[in-house]
Amino acid sequence: MWLPIIGLVLGVALGFLFSVEIPLGYVKYTAIAILAAIDTTLGGLRAQLEDRFDLMIFLTGFVVNASFAALLAGIGDLLGLDIYLGAVIAFSIRIFDNIGFIRRDLIARHMKGGR
Amino acid sequence: MHSEERSGRTPTLAAARWPAALALVLALAGYLVVAQVRTEWQIRRALRIPSTQLEELAFLLRDQERGRAALESQVTELRGRLAAYEKAAAEGRTAAAKMSRDLQELRALAGITALVGPGITVELNDSTRLPRAGEDPNKTILHYSDIQGVVAELWAAGAEAISLNGERVVGTTGISCVGTTILANTKRLAPPFLIEAVGEPKQLVQALRRPGGAIELLTAFGFPVKVAPRELVEVPAYRGTFQFEYASVEGKE
Repeated sequence: MWLPIIGLVLGVALGFLFSVEIPLGYVKYTAIAILAAIDTTLGGLRAQLEDRFDLMIFLTGFVVNASFAALLAGIGDLLGLDIYLGAVIAFSIRIFDNIGFIRRDLIARHMKGGR
Repeated sequence: MHSEERSGRTPTLAAARWPAALALVLALAGYLVVAQVRTEWQIRRALRIPSTQLEELAFLLRDQERGRAALESQVTELRGRLAAYEKAAAEGRTAAAKMSRDLQELRALAGITALVGPGITVELNDSTRLPRAGEDPNKTILHYSDIQGVVAELWAAGAEAISLNGERVVGTTGISCVGTTILANTKRLAPPFLIEAVGEPKQLVQALRRPGGAIELLTAFGFPVKVAPRELVEVPAYRGTFQFEYASVEGKE
């Protein structure tokens, strides 16, 4: 249970230690990567709570979603259109969905455990 | 609690790996968030504007750069025009200088400026000898035509400026007489007559002394004539006025 928190702390520490200045043109891509990571994390948490976690789905989901979002951003740059906003919205909706499910799962679990 | 249940059912594999995978993803997310936030802060610190306005600013910048290029080309164009104006002004100045030089020459020619230079003086006087009995006394006094003759000979010999008893001889000067008085520039003149002329002295003296000239005639009749070359002769300015009541410049209304 502590491992994810340790990972998060490690990532933050690495970010502070080895500061990489992101070129302005790539700020969009990192933003999407962050959203993909949050989405994947929450999706994994939900799957874990619903007892249907699959490592392959978890990792491929992260990689493929992030890649596709990056692709959309790239195409948007080519077309001069902010298509990546679509990815941002999709990720955001999924994140809120997952948060809702996690909330319900946790509440249901709490009720069951309390009884 | 739940994972323990699960780990009991499926042996270790998923149970051990899911926190690791989660940790990996979270580490990546944390790293990216920190990097992004730091970049954003840097932008804000440097520019004092959030990066969401950067595109707008880029547009503005491009606009301003285009405007700057246009202004620069305008500056070069204006500089060129300024250079042209300066050139024209310089030409105007040289034209003005030439005109003032011309004006000086014309004033000298008209006789309204005093002139100095080498030349000669000619002194004429009435005859000292008394008229013989029965002789016309006119033959012993100088006439305006004698002076006219000397002045005309001086002009012909190349004199550049002549004065007669301090009266400048200009283009409109008439030498005449009224009764027993000789007039020049409407001024009365009395003997002795002093004619001063600016010009090559030797040439003027030779011209006056030529055989059959005015001087020879005058000396033959016994008039005292003194011709002397001078290193420096001063001819005063014409003090009269020029009036054109009937004449006008041709081609000018």
